[in-house]
Amino acid sequence: MADVVLACEGLKKAYGDLMVLKGINFKIEKGQTKVIIGPSGSGKSTFLRVIGLLEPPTDGKVFFEGQDVYSSDMDLNMVRAKIGFVFQEPSLFRHLTALDNVKIGLKVVLGMSEEEATEKAMETLRLVHLEEWAHHYPAQLSGGQQQRVGIARALAMDPDILLFDEPTASLDIELTWEVIDVMKELAEREVTMLVVTHEIGFAKEVADEILFMDDGKFLEWGPPEKVLRNPSTPRAREFLSRLLGGV
Amino acid sequence: MSDILFILEFAGLILEGFIMTVIMTFLGLAGGFVLGVLSALGDVYGGKFLKIIINAYVEFFRGSPLIVQLLMFYFSIPILTGIKWDAFTAGAVTLMLNSGAYQKGYFKGAIEAVFKDQLLAAKSLGMTFKQTLMHIVLPQALRIVIPPWTNEYVSLGLSTSALIVIGLRELTNISKSIAAQTFRPLEVYLFTSIIYLVWITVSLKVLDYIYNRVRIPGLEVTSEI
Repeated sequence: MADVVLACEGLKKAYGDLMVLKGINFKIEKGQTKVIIGPSGSGKSTFLRVIGLLEPPTDGKVFFEGQDVYSSDMDLNMVRAKIGFVFQEPSLFRHLTALDNVKIGLKVVLGMSEEEATEKAMETLRLVHLEEWAHHYPAQLSGGQQQRVGIARALAMDPDILLFDEPTASLDIELTWEVIDVMKELAEREVTMLVVTHEIGFAKEVADEILFMDDGKFLEWGPPEKVLRNPSTPRAREFLSRLLGGV
Repeated sequence: MSDILFILEFAGLILEGFIMTVIMTFLGLAGGFVLGVLSALGDVYGGKFLKIIINAYVEFFRGSPLIVQLLMFYFSIPILTGIKWDAFTAGAVTLMLNSGAYQKGYFKGAIEAVFKDQLLAAKSLGMTFKQTLMHIVLPQALRIVIPPWTNEYVSLGLSTSALIVIGLRELTNISKSIAAQTFRPLEVYLFTSIIYLVWITVSLKVLDYIYNRVRIPGLEVTSEI
């Protein structure tokens, strides 16, 4: 049986009276890539933030490698360090160069020495094809480059899973490709990834499973060909015909 | 104004006054810096009660004249507490509180200019609140704050002349006695003004130099406070 990296049971999240996540069960195993699609406002980002431990759930349980995160005495920050997060906006630290953005977590959170951190960070920047840009500040990089630094920053921590929240949503089409290419390379290296995206080409090519979220629940899930070609719910059918039809 | 050089007779006294002015400015700015950073952090991240206290403090010191504050602290603290304090201590404490109230506004703007997405990114790396503050928020806020903070330096530096009301022997007070003694107010005060002007101009150059040394491309974009 494969190792489950991240899972949740009966996950609910409310903001005031507004119930955003309405009881979600989910799990992802080591080496898998899962893609979440769905209309905006359906709760995709919220789900990612709650399962990524950036926001506490209102109800339900989150399991990291089999352990109930909120009921055991786990150090939440140490668990967060093992869950990489790539945001929609690149959200780099603006006072640090690309290299230092990647290094800071290694030094401050993992306690690596300066040399160790530099070596590891340069190695990771090479993976996202940015070693030549290591000494540039965020403002001197394109959106796509910034996003790849964001990926490197998360990846350098050697996380057990990477979460992506619409990483290409704020990018032009050509910049989107360079980010998607890097993500494909990660999938080939069997990095565990949970990705919210509408890049259907990416989903088709690398996803082990696509989940369709609507109104705070997963309505449909399965292998890409099944969910994309033959959705069983009317909501998913309508959404996909718009998404794939491009209208 | 034929023998303007008479002023040199008082060079020692004037230097003494100028040093006092500089010391009071630096004490006020330094104390105000600590108070300003702490109140800004409290106002941004603190609870409701703390925010109310901080804002009451800021409103009080920004909403009343420095001269009144100086008189009040100098004369009322000994009556209220029985502790005697001299003009130097009373003046320094009042300047710190006054400057802290202004600096709080600058720091708050700078802290809030460090966007929330960076705080979330720091959290996702596993940083604690304190680590985020030390490694992400403050390094950016302190750079962003330099231009508005420069205004506070000029403003407080010139405002130290208000210390005359509690009898502290700073530059303005000393000039006043020299003017009274020599019956030459025009020359004396003109000379004093030039000292203030040169001091402030040189200081601005130094601050500008520091700002350019630590500035980071792109970071100034967020500095519209």
